Amino acid sequence: MKSVLRLSGLALASLLLSSVATWAGPKIVSGPGANPACFKPWSAQTKYFQWEKKPGPYRIAVVNGFVGNTWRIQMIKTAKAFAEQPGIKENIKEFKVVSTGTDVAAQLGAMEDFINQGFDAIVTIAVAPDGFDRIIRLADKNNVVVVPFDNILDTDKVMMVNEDQKEMGRMSAKWLINESGKTSGDILEVRGLPGNSVDRDRHLGFREVMEAPGNNFKITEVVGNWDSGTSQKVTADALAVHGHFDGVFTQGGSDGTVRAMIDAKHPYVPMSGEGENEFRKQIADHYKDGLKGMSYGQSPALVAISIKAAISALQGNVMPQLISIPIPVADYKTLKDGENYWSNLSANFFAPNQFLPCGVTFTAPEIMAQSESNVK
Amino acid sequence: MSNSTISNSTLSESTMAGASTSGIPIPGIFPRRSLGTDLLIKLRQNIGLVTAIGLFCVVYVFYHFAHPKGFSSAVFVQNADEVFTLAMVAMAQTLPVLAAGLDLSVGAVMTMVGCLASYLLSGAAQGTPIEFSFGGTPHILATLPGGIAGIIAGTFICLIAGTLAGFFNGCVVVYGRIQPIIATLATGAIYIGIALFLRPTPGGKIDDDLNWALTNSLQDFASTVHIFDDGNAPWFAPFGTIPVPFILIVMIALLAWVPFRRSVTGRSVYAIGSAEGAAYMSGLRIDRAKLAAFTLAGFFAGCGGLFLAIQTSSGNADIPQAGTYTLNSIAAVVIGGTSLLGGTGGAIGSIFGALILRVISFFFRIFDIAPLLQPLFEGIILLAAVSIGALRVLRVKNTLELFR
Repeated sequence: MKSVLRLSGLALASLLLSSVATWAGPKIVSGPGANPACFKPWSAQTKYFQWEKKPGPYRIAVVNGFVGNTWRIQMIKTAKAFAEQPGIKENIKEFKVVSTGTDVAAQLGAMEDFINQGFDAIVTIAVAPDGFDRIIRLADKNNVVVVPFDNILDTDKVMMVNEDQKEMGRMSAKWLINESGKTSGDILEVRGLPGNSVDRDRHLGFREVMEAPGNNFKITEVVGNWDSGTSQKVTADALAVHGHFDGVFTQGGSDGTVRAMIDAKHPYVPMSGEGENEFRKQIADHYKDGLKGMSYGQSPALVAISIKAAISALQGNVMPQLISIPIPVADYKTLKDGENYWSNLSANFFAPNQFLPCGVTFTAPEIMAQSESNVK
Repeated sequence: MSNSTISNSTLSESTMAGASTSGIPIPGIFPRRSLGTDLLIKLRQNIGLVTAIGLFCVVYVFYHFAHPKGFSSAVFVQNADEVFTLAMVAMAQTLPVLAAGLDLSVGAVMTMVGCLASYLLSGAAQGTPIEFSFGGTPHILATLPGGIAGIIAGTFICLIAGTLAGFFNGCVVVYGRIQPIIATLATGAIYIGIALFLRPTPGGKIDDDLNWALTNSLQDFASTVHIFDDGNAPWFAPFGTIPVPFILIVMIALLAWVPFRRSVTGRSVYAIGSAEGAAYMSGLRIDRAKLAAFTLAGFFAGCGGLFLAIQTSSGNADIPQAGTYTLNSIAAVVIGGTSLLGGTGGAIGSIFGALILRVISFFFRIFDIAPLLQPLFEGIILLAAVSIGALRVLRVKNTLELFR
């Protein structure tokens, strides 16, 4: 800490300078924004932001939280591949990806580090929906564009990219009601990782429809952590206790849930789940036996759209504060081998990965087949 | 026991095992030595701590050289913010480890106190009512005053909550006669349960000024709380760039850890870790020392939780995060030179252990390392760091010493 004292004079001067600098950050302007086909505003009430135009190319960092499941790995690979694509590559001077684990202090530290290093944009999956006020304040002060996606923040002060999680829950509930043709019965709900906004919002959307007046469902809730193994275990437990369900809604690890049902010799029932290729294969194989499945997908390619949005914001374009990405849905009627699922591939990955309006053109197998060294 | 022998200040932690109360000279240690030898012996006894400090300095200076804004206040502040909570939790973990136990509840206590703080430190001008709803009817227990007084009162309540949690751990271990690792596994679940009860979904509010003042440099602190001419007093200038969390760590270490370490109770904790039977036969108050160790651990973990809440302006009963902190605290304790078998080491080492643990991940932000290989690198560096501490094995003359 001696160096602190030695350099204190210089640092103090810069500190004073920075503290008198005007509160920068984006201006709130009126729409419409740039490239509305890709950057669709969340709703009619969505605000529009405009940052001061910065000359490119830019330095962009992706600060991931938890790493270790297929989705996150696919996300990281997609980010790397997208940054190398023509049209994007010219705009990026330096591109860094770090994962900080489930620790919010480490994530805050990493983001602040990139702000201090002079990066122009930080794309992030927040580990908690709250707690980033300080970072937002610092980012605004330093004219850094912060773009949370997937697990977004409970704030309207930053530009964010996501699919409508509540709508996924609602969609799933409607699907179960339509396919079973009943307004009562036993339903299994397999939830995701506790404590973050995606799990909460999908759950709320699902309950909103299932518990609407006129419906009388008995819903059993288990926690599957969006993980196939955990989902399989908790589903098996639930089946052992309850015996029978009329429908299943799972937030992830969907293939594990189906496997548990097969193991328990539970009859196939209508089900809605995530976009895992394995789950889609199961639907295709068993829909004739009753596994009337719907597979919605939170695409790992959200990271690509977020990077694109960050670049667009740095170029001075008008951007919606909350960008809505259409939910890629497939059900047993629309599943098509080689297009939205791949029956010949055994590795598990998330099938929806293409967003043509945003120029995200690579398919999931293309991404997951690439080794890390190829991407670099 | 007689206080005179045990409080002999030249006794260092690792010799506690051999210390007896009867005044029999301890082999290798003489009452009067020259200053040089004294220092050398101290150094050898604290080799773990010295290694940790050395390793940290090398790595951290390297980080600053590589950082485009290295050696600036902003980077120091950012690093201090990031490391504070882990350092506190690591200090908390040190005490049970010194007594040859493990505390699996430190992350849970931290989380619980953080959730509590997100209610009590809102700094609302009209005051914060402390109420809970039971069976649909709200009960108001008390009302915290608004403004600064409320924040101070809230801080105290949070720290007391952490301390009480630690004390409860101690009671379960001492009077329940349950192994610490199992006892704290259970109590940890209780604390997480309380945290989830308090904050089923993340949220809450912490006073903006409090957040800004404590997570910045002293200069910002002074200008936020309006002392020393808003931090512009000339004499204050040299200190202005020091991060507030750094000052807090030093204060907590000096005011809580060092006195404890020097007290009879503190040294009894070391004695328990070295040889519980011998400590008992020597007439040390085993129960009191264990209770004190867990209680102080609760206090440290509470400090960590309080800061995390202030830093994030919210409370979050995040179970994976609580687990991460517990696990990292154990790693930090080991890197800091404390033996998991108990009896040697100290909380200062654990602070440096936490620093090293964090600094390793700092490098991923500066150097271009393939993202999916980062955990691999982190693991290798960690293993290397822990191995340095184990190098003493190569120097032992008698293999039996390894079983100490």
